[in-house]
Amino acid sequence: MAEEHTTAAGQPIQEAVIEAQEAQRMPPNDGRWTRLFDHFKREWQIYAMLLPTIIWFLVFLYKPMYGLQIAFKDYSIFRGVANSPWIGLEHFQTLFSNDQFLRAIGNTIKISALNLIFGFPAPIILALMFNEVLHASYKRTAQTIVYLPHFISSVIIAGIVITAFSPTAGIVNTIIGWFGLDPVYFLTQPQWFRPIFVGTGIWQEAGFGSIVFLAAIAGVNPSLYESAVVDGANRWQMMWKITIPSILPTILIMLIIRIGNVMEVSFELVILLYQPATYETADVVNTWIYRQGLQSGQYDLAAAGGLFNAFVAFVLVMTANTLSRRYSRTSLW
Amino acid sequence: MSGVNLNGIVKCYGAVEVVHGIDLTVAEKEFVVLVGPSGCGKSTTLRMIAGLEEITAGDLTIHERRVNRIAPKDRDVAMVFQNYALYPHLNVADNMAFGLRIRKMPKDEIKTTIEDVAGILGLTEYLDRRPADLSGGQRQRVAMGRAIVRHPKVFLFDEPLSNLDAKLRTQMRAEIKRLHNRLGVTSVYVTHDQVEAMTLADRIVVMNDGRIEQVGTPMELFNNPANTFVAGFLGSPPMNQIKGTLTQTGAQVGDTEIKISGAMNGQAGRDVIVGIRPEHITLKASKNTSALPIDLDLVEPLGSEALLHGRHDNVEMVFKADTDGDIAHLSGVNAVHINPDLVKLFDAETGRALNFGA
Ligand SMILES: Nc1ncnc2c1ncn2[C@@H]1O[C@H](COP(=O)(O)OP(=O)(O)OP(=O)(O)O)[C@@H](O)[C@H]1O
Ligand SMILES: [Mg+2]
Repeated sequence: MAEEHTTAAGQPIQEAVIEAQEAQRMPPNDGRWTRLFDHFKREWQIYAMLLPTIIWFLVFLYKPMYGLQIAFKDYSIFRGVANSPWIGLEHFQTLFSNDQFLRAIGNTIKISALNLIFGFPAPIILALMFNEVLHASYKRTAQTIVYLPHFISSVIIAGIVITAFSPTAGIVNTIIGWFGLDPVYFLTQPQWFRPIFVGTGIWQEAGFGSIVFLAAIAGVNPSLYESAVVDGANRWQMMWKITIPSILPTILIMLIIRIGNVMEVSFELVILLYQPATYETADVVNTWIYRQGLQSGQYDLAAAGGLFNAFVAFVLVMTANTLSRRYSRTSLW
Repeated sequence: MSGVNLNGIVKCYGAVEVVHGIDLTVAEKEFVVLVGPSGCGKSTTLRMIAGLEEITAGDLTIHERRVNRIAPKDRDVAMVFQNYALYPHLNVADNMAFGLRIRKMPKDEIKTTIEDVAGILGLTEYLDRRPADLSGGQRQRVAMGRAIVRHPKVFLFDEPLSNLDAKLRTQMRAEIKRLHNRLGVTSVYVTHDQVEAMTLADRIVVMNDGRIEQVGTPMELFNNPANTFVAGFLGSPPMNQIKGTLTQTGAQVGDTEIKISGAMNGQAGRDVIVGIRPEHITLKASKNTSALPIDLDLVEPLGSEALLHGRHDNVEMVFKADTDGDIAHLSGVNAVHINPDLVKLFDAETGRALNFGA
């Protein structure tokens, strides 16, 4: 990552050189199409290798988009997607006059904001901390322990959380009990849902998420640190002045991706942890869509909700990427 | 007063000893170059002086202070790294200021120091640029600037020019020499390039396999190599080394006798290696010279000189001859003439120089 950052300015020159070389190989007055044809003929292996990915995208991501049109139709399963009549933006009007949907948007944004504020820095801090651990086997053991929850299915994670916060046998309430306090019914109280949900997310993913930052840290040129040591920097200064700036491009890329997923609060974990008593704070757009669309059979309304979700995510990613490219020369594309 | 003093310095990585007890004194303001083949322990030695590697045994003093257990930052040394080690996210000025800020130098003082040094190095107009937007030579200068602004007691250089192309390297070499003349800071410079060593050094330290082979001024080493390794390492092309046997007046090489000045002290019959520098020959016989017949197989013109590749008694040899503007006359060469004063002799077994008479 750091390396890419350094050569960022040199890149266009290299590309220009390659283009110039290619131009030399081509007869000078060939047309564009001939050139394109020659290009494919020469590089076909690379395109062949790309093909499975393109097919996967077409089949599993683009083809289902055909069905998105029901967001603008009065859809019935008997008439099918194509034959249902168009009704314009009626579903969107319904959505935005629905208090539960608006509440779900609010909840999604609040949970995502908490996730961003607490969940995003967690793996970075963890990676920086691992980087300072010098004892190799201690470091390996600690890393394994924090990676582990990532590999446990959400159902089991939810089970662990529910057990831990149970008012009768849960460890949390047992500890509270030691201080002579009454047990708290955490999972039935709306004000506790968000902290528990966000905390669970961090517990589950921070360790695994730190891998990408550890990889970025490993890519930092070691002589930068040696030079800083000779200059008299301590470990704290090296972390702030070398490590963090060096992995900043990685941090920004991860942040852009994260922002794109703002509307995608990990929906199965919500479903597993929430209950009607906590809908007030726990019901997010995706869970609302799930209940409306799949459980009550309003597929067209659910599609409209999903489309809205995707649209917001799209706008967010575009914005974040543009800002990042402008201010830090780092971007996803 | 000595600048840097190494006394029996040993370095082990685990059970493997890679530096076997080095003794070396670098005088204050002296420019010492460590040179040797790859893997001989030059960098390791330099990094022990910097404090980046622990010293397994021996004493290291800088300005009369034992620093074995002193942290790098308190040794008052500055190091220039092979890959420059510039911070990619900082501009030139901030790169140079890095060490000063860490040492809490007042802001305005930092500013004037940086401006001074940038002036010396011709970097004034690049102070706002990031390293990625500089040429190799400019980056190299920034790396030097970062060392210079600290006003250290000792400069350490680890192959600082090896990433530059040949022309730039020659240029920067001269610049480093000028800087040293101007600043007069004790310097230890590592390179595997013998030309760099010859041109830059006040004294050269030739290392091989974790040991010092010889220490001396460039001309001392060139004229009187202590052994066949040094003889073969310095000079380009290197000294020709031919097996032979001592006679009363010189050395017998195949069926030819090469006359050598100096008494042989009745050691006739002893096996030796005869060393002849490529440049120490003439094409015309003169008084005292001995002729060495050769089968010429290649002439490489270099301009004013040419390299003659040939064989004598199936031993390959290279000689240098003047071209006088044309190489046609060199193709007929079938013997070279050797001045008896310039021939070196080495013990055939130990490779040590034999100092008969001369
Ligand atoms: N961290 C290490 N662990 C084990 N052995 C090492 C380590 N660093 C260096 N060595 C060994 O020490 C010896 C000296 O290495 P050093 O880097 O000092 O060589 P050098 O003279 O600088 O060579 P070069 O010209 O290639 O830079 C080598 O044989 C190398 O393999
Ligand atoms: Mg080295």
